[in-house]
Amino acid sequence: MLIPHPLLGLRDAQEFTYLGDASLLNRPDAASGDASNAFNDYVFLRDNPAGLHRELWYHEQGDRSWLIVTRNTVTHEVLGAELARDYILKAELPA
Amino acid sequence: MTDLAAITALGESAPFRAEIGALTLIENSNLALASLSVPRGQNVPMIFEMTLPEVGQWQAGADISAFWTAPNQWIIEGHNRANEDFAELVKRAAPDCCVTEQTDGWVAFDIFSNDGSKPIADLLEKLVNIDVNALKTGTAVRTGLHHMSVYLIRRRDEQITIVGMRSLAGALCHALETAAMRLR
Repeated sequence: MLIPHPLLGLRDAQEFTYLGDASLLNRPDAASGDASNAFNDYVFLRDNPAGLHRELWYHEQGDRSWLIVTRNTVTHEVLGAELARDYILKAELPA
Repeated sequence: MTDLAAITALGESAPFRAEIGALTLIENSNLALASLSVPRGQNVPMIFEMTLPEVGQWQAGADISAFWTAPNQWIIEGHNRANEDFAELVKRAAPDCCVTEQTDGWVAFDIFSNDGSKPIADLLEKLVNIDVNALKTGTAVRTGLHHMSVYLIRRRDEQITIVGMRSLAGALCHALETAAMRLR
């Protein structure tokens, strides 16, 4: 399987390690009143879609970046990848 | 005072060297390394009057060179400077950047071909799962080699440097030597 790294081009999936659902980037606010419920959902509940899935991959034997890879879990087709850093920086921008 | 003798990454008194077919493998124990990262929001500085290379590139230099390792991060190479405090030198050249000493964390093997670029391409095709044709002079990539993480720096068509973790120097040397022997 090849992963289209946004900076380095197509790279062998063996260079990467897999973490899980990209929703892990959306960590709940520990200071909020409902934090214990929110963290319960964050830690234990996952969607398990048959089809498109956004997931976190770490380019360990490469530039050590975290990627959000969009993959079809049925066909294993990889549809795209973006730097998790870019995703977070975009989210941090004021609306 | 205790009489201490320096040893190489392979535990020897002299650097490893082997001539195998068209290839010559030489451990470069004189290469000083320091990583340099630029904090977010800062401009990328010139280092020793050198522009830091773009993604996946190596910037050549007689005494000091550099290769890209990650977004806003490079490794600066000091040739024949392994006995100096190289990180201090880099820090003075880029006081606003984060610099860490890397020399003793790595082992470098220079591989030379006396028959053009083909023997080097043949060797790499045995060892790493990257597009060897795209690894032209002036490129540097990190990839896996026998489950070890290595940097490949293409310095010339007839020369590549493989930088691997020092604690795995013996295994890396063995992998390179074995692959080279199988090309003969």
